[in-house]
Amino acid sequence: MFTSSKPLLAAVLTAFLVALTACGSDDTSGGIAADGAAGGGAPRAGGTLILGENADEPTCLDPHQLSTTNTTVLDRPIFDSLIWQDAAGKLHPWLAASWQVSPDGLTYTFKLREGVKFHDGAPWNAEGLKANLEHMRDPATKSPLAASYIAPYKDSKVIDENTLEVHLSSPYSPFLNVLAQSYLAMISPKQIKEAPQSTCEHPIGSGPFIFDKWTKGQSITYHKNPDYNWGPPGAKHTGAAYLDGLEVRFLGEDATRYNALLSGEVNVIDNTPPSNVQDVKANPDLGFTTVDRPGHPFSIWRNTGRAPFDDVKVRQALTLAVDRKAIVDSVSFGQWKVASGFVTPSTPDYASSLEGKITYDPARAGQLLDEAGWTAKGADGIRTKDGKRLTAIALDTGVNPQNTQILVQTQAAAAKVGIDIQIQNATAQVASDRTAAGDFDISVGIWTTNTADVLWIQYASDNITTTERRGQNTTRLSDGKLDQLLTQARESTDDKTRADLYTQAQARLIELAPAIPLYNRPSLVSFQKKVQGLDWDHAYGAVNFYDTWLG
Amino acid sequence: MRNKILRLVGGRLIAGVGVLWGAATLTFLVLYFTPGDQAQAIVGGENAAPTPEVIAQVTAEYGLDQPWYAQYLSHLGRILHGDLGTSYRLHTPVTQAIGEQAGATLELALAAAVVGLTLSTVVALATAKRRRWIRGIASGSELVIASTPSFWLGILLLTVFSFGLRLFPATGSHGLQSLVLPALALALPIAGVLGHVLREALEEVLDEPFIVSARTRGLADLTVRLRHALRHALVPLITMTGYWVGALLGGAVITETLFTRQGIGRLLLSAVNAKDLPVVLGVVLLSAGIYVLLNLVVDLLYLVIDPRLRDAPATARPAVGGAS
Repeated sequence: MFTSSKPLLAAVLTAFLVALTACGSDDTSGGIAADGAAGGGAPRAGGTLILGENADEPTCLDPHQLSTTNTTVLDRPIFDSLIWQDAAGKLHPWLAASWQVSPDGLTYTFKLREGVKFHDGAPWNAEGLKANLEHMRDPATKSPLAASYIAPYKDSKVIDENTLEVHLSSPYSPFLNVLAQSYLAMISPKQIKEAPQSTCEHPIGSGPFIFDKWTKGQSITYHKNPDYNWGPPGAKHTGAAYLDGLEVRFLGEDATRYNALLSGEVNVIDNTPPSNVQDVKANPDLGFTTVDRPGHPFSIWRNTGRAPFDDVKVRQALTLAVDRKAIVDSVSFGQWKVASGFVTPSTPDYASSLEGKITYDPARAGQLLDEAGWTAKGADGIRTKDGKRLTAIALDTGVNPQNTQILVQTQAAAAKVGIDIQIQNATAQVASDRTAAGDFDISVGIWTTNTADVLWIQYASDNITTTERRGQNTTRLSDGKLDQLLTQARESTDDKTRADLYTQAQARLIELAPAIPLYNRPSLVSFQKKVQGLDWDHAYGAVNFYDTWLG
Repeated sequence: MRNKILRLVGGRLIAGVGVLWGAATLTFLVLYFTPGDQAQAIVGGENAAPTPEVIAQVTAEYGLDQPWYAQYLSHLGRILHGDLGTSYRLHTPVTQAIGEQAGATLELALAAAVVGLTLSTVVALATAKRRRWIRGIASGSELVIASTPSFWLGILLLTVFSFGLRLFPATGSHGLQSLVLPALALALPIAGVLGHVLREALEEVLDEPFIVSARTRGLADLTVRLRHALRHALVPLITMTGYWVGALLGGAVITETLFTRQGIGRLLLSAVNAKDLPVVLGVVLLSAGIYVLLNLVVDLLYLVIDPRLRDAPATARPAVGGAS
């Protein structure tokens, strides 16, 4: 049946299918020849860039209705934010020209940039900012993230066309930080007012690219906003974007995404499979760039609400028993950096003075377990106390093979010091329910956000899940001193004081050891050499295309 | 004859309504009683940090605080009024959500059906009653292909024809080129099974006296096979419609994911994960409806293919062997 002649086979099969396809959408938008003519030179306008993204496709493109990881990559082209965060974590004016914070930290007065227009022609003004804050908070928006990021928002008052006074119910220093995130970007106030139902399907912002079309399960296309003249500070040019168009394709399989870059089907890929990064770096036709995301590093959470991890010595012992660098290197093929603390270095108020405090020392781990009373050992080397084995239940959804490997390697390391980790498989929903109910000892997770307030989200005792409220304090840590530090830091209006409080909080967490910080999650971006000027949105650590051009 | 067809159609349609009702009920119960906080799943799962107000809004808006039977009846009532509802997560009408994806699945399923049926028919016609080694090779490859998971087959096709030879794109629904590999991945296992069944049926038929008499009239072998034997051998193929349509719909989920195609399969998968009940119900009802209609078409086809059945009792189907 099948001849071995390849072109013939292709021709036959294609001809065979011609009869079937009524819709002759001859979409050859690919068609980019890899001519290898890379190199510097002056930026050139024109062309369409195709990005291969993973399968984490949102269900909606309204940033206020999103919490998915890819939101910044997909929405930043369409939407601008009030504030821009640079690589060092410093905040700069963007759609806000300036701001003032009252000494009590309860009133924020924003002076807005003038001359900004949304894609539907709506002007940017104080009413527009107010409409956006109200839209984030409105329960009808069903915001999974933005609403809780501005939870202290009370109300706001329009002072004049370009000045808005925002009132908070309690002082909240991360307010400006989170406003720089794409989840809190500015939607056309006209759309919010006149057609709020359409924000998911037809997002309208003021960004350098205008939304074209979303072919669900496949791609999103954008075209250049010719009127754009309010790029973020720190951008390498002003005016409209260089690219005429942008297309994001959702390529779920790692091998497929990587090969799509090799074959030129796409120009850039995000989420480069770590196993392929070395190949990319060795390939003369390709380039590679990466940045670590801010927030809480990927970690192994321990449930401090029940035995055995209610004992801080047992928690410290497991941390010491694990060779974090060996695990991270083996799982990521050397592409992830070992976490150096409870927030990543790309997070504002990261305490670099604490680096090196989390160590690998199995002997010390054994001593701590002895001190904790786990002195006897069973025939299999597992420690016991009062006849009870030192056992911990770890939940694994199996969705992410790297997480499974991390748990298995941790299990092996723990067994060496006499801790028995039993890995239980659970569906994502079951795992999520059990974690919320505290019915587990070990699980894994990460939280990306551009403020050290992530520590309040993850470890404040207010954020332990109860029947009334679902919180993110997975480890169920409840420590009065830490609560106090984190609350004071939230309420501080002075940069220096706040940084100092967060440093103390990070030190306290190393003592309390509710989690084992493992690695800083990076964006791993690979591209054809002719792609120039790729940049980052540092508020999330996501690739940004405003300055990008095709050589 | 006309009465008989009307009775058949009427009976099948009434039974079809029962099938749809059963499918909807089962879907509701399974989704409702499997673990997982529904409001949390709808708002965005583990990435989300919804405020209590947002959870309260979702719970109230979708009636998640009502007892299960009240929720069941309200979904059923909505569907009975012809309203498939609005997706909890996509915030678009279910008909639109399905409409956006149905075209791609239909395209893939049709392509795979034609490839699968043609391939199996051609191979069976060419190899039935041939020399032993020819039949051995044919049935051996059919067995291997039929028992290969389509996921694995898809990866194999991708590796060879896309990553290796660069003949076809690996992804997307960009026209014809991108349809070739997914259609093959979906069609080959089905063709393996159908080809096997068809060859056995053909071999039975080729032993029949009327074939011998056709040959003695001096007809060429190909003519005998095509014009006389095939028609009889097609009956088991039609009996297996349920099997291969099921394989097409089920296999589509995997194929669509692997090849990053649009499609109902991926829509269903994400809807189940997010406990998006209106979308899941919509897709299940659509698939069940397709089954009901196909069964009806098959019953009518029997009457066309086998004239003897036109005089038999309406419910009788021919006893067909060959499904080994």
